Amino acid sequence: MWSFAAQTAGSAVVLPDGRCDIILRSQSNDVIPIITGPATRPYRVTFQRGDQWVGIRLRPEHGALLWQLKLQNAPDAVLRGQDAIAHMPGLSALKTPEVAAKRLSALLSWEQTSQVNPRLRQAVDVMHTSGGRLGINALAAHIGCSTRHLNRMFRGHIGLDAKTYAQIVQFHRALKLITGGQLAMTAAAAECGYADQAHMTRAFRRFGGFTPSTIPPDLSVPGLFQN
Amino acid sequence: MKLGYTIIYVTDVPRTVAFYETAFGLKPRFIHESNLYGEMETGDTVLAFAGNEVAEMNGLAIVPNDPKGPAAGWEICFVTQAVEAAYDRAVSAGCTAVSAPSQKPWGQMVSYVRDLDGCLVEIASPIDGSS
Repeated sequence: MWSFAAQTAGSAVVLPDGRCDIILRSQSNDVIPIITGPATRPYRVTFQRGDQWVGIRLRPEHGALLWQLKLQNAPDAVLRGQDAIAHMPGLSALKTPEVAAKRLSALLSWEQTSQVNPRLRQAVDVMHTSGGRLGINALAAHIGCSTRHLNRMFRGHIGLDAKTYAQIVQFHRALKLITGGQLAMTAAAAECGYADQAHMTRAFRRFGGFTPSTIPPDLSVPGLFQN
Repeated sequence: MKLGYTIIYVTDVPRTVAFYETAFGLKPRFIHESNLYGEMETGDTVLAFAGNEVAEMNGLAIVPNDPKGPAAGWEICFVTQAVEAAYDRAVSAGCTAVSAPSQKPWGQMVSYVRDLDGCLVEIASPIDGSS
């Protein structure tokens, strides 16, 4: 669960993390429900002073709980307002940030205890542990299933194929090493498993919309593994 | 500089600490309340375990240890005069047998097992009477 209150007007780049959110955005007495699909592209959010958000970010393998049969079309989709309520009627009851926070935290504890698919959860954990560097075949062997089945689980529950998810994890690690660890570009590319710096630059453009040498200062980096 | 810690990334820290107590007779020294880090009582150089998820928190990427696949390319080695008894104890506690105790040409008794996570553990007699 996360929340954010804008102290000034401005904008922020939200990076994709392959996970879905349920968000309530309060903007001058209006509360707008928002449901997002698993993100693979960055998006820019603009806001006014005093705008508030409260939201929960689901574990990646819980995308299907939120989108159900529509998951195939959910990547990078955003439902706002009436569209979100049509998809999830319970959202219309959340009139204030306080009520929303309470209801969302109840939803979150339900989410955390619901075990959708332990093997998929293990696969996601291993992907994070290995920084997305373990090949899909090796990952399938590690959790004891076929590559085909692994991809089916990813598409069916997360909404993304396994390789895309791994590339997102890989990108976030490279970003963390460059911004936090102050690692040189060539060293970061090698440590993160990119063939060369150009390969890493393509991944940064795709998932971040910037290059490794022009990382914007106003990034909103999702804590990939924090609930 | 000195070797301070050997830290093995594992699936379940408390379970591994308990396992090393049963299988190898080590005493636990400390388990962090997060259950993501634990240490055994091994003298100046500490044998410790960290949860696999700690790797990501520290910006690391590792290949998780896998009991079903080949072992990672390194091992820890316990030294004892009673190799056969230690080996039997480890295997009956749930270690996978890899190589039963045998005497090397230089007189040392050597055996290998793999632990819960598939890590290689050697159990050997001291060389030149050292322990």
